[in-house]
Amino acid sequence: MLQLRIQGRGGQGAQLAGEVLATAFFQEGKYVQAYSTYGGARRGTPVSTFIRVDDDPVRERCDIEEPDAIICFDPSLLSPALLTGVTAKTVLLVNSVRGPEEFADLGDLRVATIDALTIARGNGLGRIVNSTLLGAFARVVGAPDLDVLVEVIRQVSPRKVDENMKSTRDGYELVRMREGAPR
Amino acid sequence: MSATATAPRSSPPANEVQLAGDMRLLLSGNHAVSYGAMRARPQVVPIYPITPQTPIAEKISDLQLAGDFDVDLMTAESEHSAMSACITASLTGVRVFTATASQGLFLMHEMLHYASGARAPIVMVNVNRTIGSPWGFWPDQTDSLAQRDTGWIQYYTENGQESLDTVIQAFKVAEEVLLPAMVVHEAFYVSHALEPVTVPSQERVDAYLPPFDPVHKLDTEIGESWGNVVNQDMFYRHRKDLGTAMNQVLEVSVRADAEYADMMGRGYGILEKYRTEDADMLIVAFGAMVGTARVAVDMLRAAGKAVGLLKIKLFRPFPVEAVRAAVAGVPRLVVMERNFSPGGGGVLHQELKAALYGMPDPPAVHGYLAGVGGVNVSPKKMVELAEKALTDEPVPDSVWQR
Repeated sequence: MLQLRIQGRGGQGAQLAGEVLATAFFQEGKYVQAYSTYGGARRGTPVSTFIRVDDDPVRERCDIEEPDAIICFDPSLLSPALLTGVTAKTVLLVNSVRGPEEFADLGDLRVATIDALTIARGNGLGRIVNSTLLGAFARVVGAPDLDVLVEVIRQVSPRKVDENMKSTRDGYELVRMREGAPR
Repeated sequence: MSATATAPRSSPPANEVQLAGDMRLLLSGNHAVSYGAMRARPQVVPIYPITPQTPIAEKISDLQLAGDFDVDLMTAESEHSAMSACITASLTGVRVFTATASQGLFLMHEMLHYASGARAPIVMVNVNRTIGSPWGFWPDQTDSLAQRDTGWIQYYTENGQESLDTVIQAFKVAEEVLLPAMVVHEAFYVSHALEPVTVPSQERVDAYLPPFDPVHKLDTEIGESWGNVVNQDMFYRHRKDLGTAMNQVLEVSVRADAEYADMMGRGYGILEKYRTEDADMLIVAFGAMVGTARVAVDMLRAAGKAVGLLKIKLFRPFPVEAVRAAVAGVPRLVVMERNFSPGGGGVLHQELKAALYGMPDPPAVHGYLAGVGGVNVSPKKMVELAEKALTDEPVPDSVWQR
């Protein structure tokens, strides 16, 4: 089972990103379970999305305590609470202009960064970074298939469809990865 | 997100029942409820939005707008008004559906009693949410359990598929015994969890659930009415009849579920035993924690511990005989539940102890308050609690476990 957490703030599109990922895995024939928790639907408050992907039905209904991957929409959300339960195998994807080596102090985990804001702005999407982050995610985790993901982005983008599809592919190409420090 | 919700998967998985005309969709538990309601064809849906129930109302509105759901969707000014409209509509002989949560359910409370007294077979989904104060949006079953004396049938479900199927079954049961029925699932873990869900074909649901056609109905042409003042004797008789109808729910529910399983390929029973063979102990749970408990039981069995699971699906009426049969010969039970009645403890713990009272060689019963207020209960946590329950001496009161 692949277990993911997405951490964002209300209004950033983190919940929608979770739904897009879940849809892509669903279309690949996987069982998925994806849900978000939030303290009232307000802009700016932290929103956590949890996704499980498996070949068999997902039965447990609880938070993900040991994620295989985390997508962090905003480095200001990189709190110790967000990183509890990570292991050397956990992939942490951060939306940041900084390179992954600059997050070495986070400890023994695999950090990837993507300058999603610059990419999104360059593609005319303003501050909407979720499609870029999803493309980067598909690269660093190796799933879902990029073409399946881009097709789901095409189906669900409310507008600027081509811009979102391009941002997804740009995210896939431009993500920067650092392997965990050797133990 | 309607585009996401209706995107079909490439092919159904091999181990899922998929019949001709079924739709396989990625739906949240709440949206699954809306599809279940649509298939049951209620003519009237009076509803008032409240987090985390709102997506049910929104999706019904979407389906109505798309021309898929021919319904009179009444947006009331409060939950009290919504339930009042449900009762009135139901008494005119039409099928009625609604949904609420938490504070909304409490605002309905007076009318919940009225509905069962009026023998109005309304089906309502309640999304379990913490009750104020303080304010919160987390899964906790105390809201619906506080309605256990209102004369409503109550089913607790563990995922969106079961909620969809149970909404359809609940109409069948409610309309046969003439009592209202509540289908209950939890905030976020079920209500907002996107999962693959099978929506059965309209044709088969129509064959399962014929139109509602009660003998008595309010009609200006007929001139019957409901709600007059009665004497003590009539009141006594009416309450006794209500109890008789409630007792019939056990048998009617089992039959309605078996018929559903025959036609749709999915059945649940009024309770379920999971890996209970030769068990030293059963975890007893209801709602979303059942799914987590299945994983915990698998972990315990893999570690050589003979622990099984008893899922309680039908909570009102409480299936006393079925529960006694399920636990006969098992030395120990541990209830793990996400609700709290101050001064009473865990509500399932109370009900279970009462059900087992007087049974020959009853099991010892632990009551663990796990998950109250929506705190996280992982499979690992359940394994830890089960191991504790295997060695600790049970006490009469429910015990806080975090």
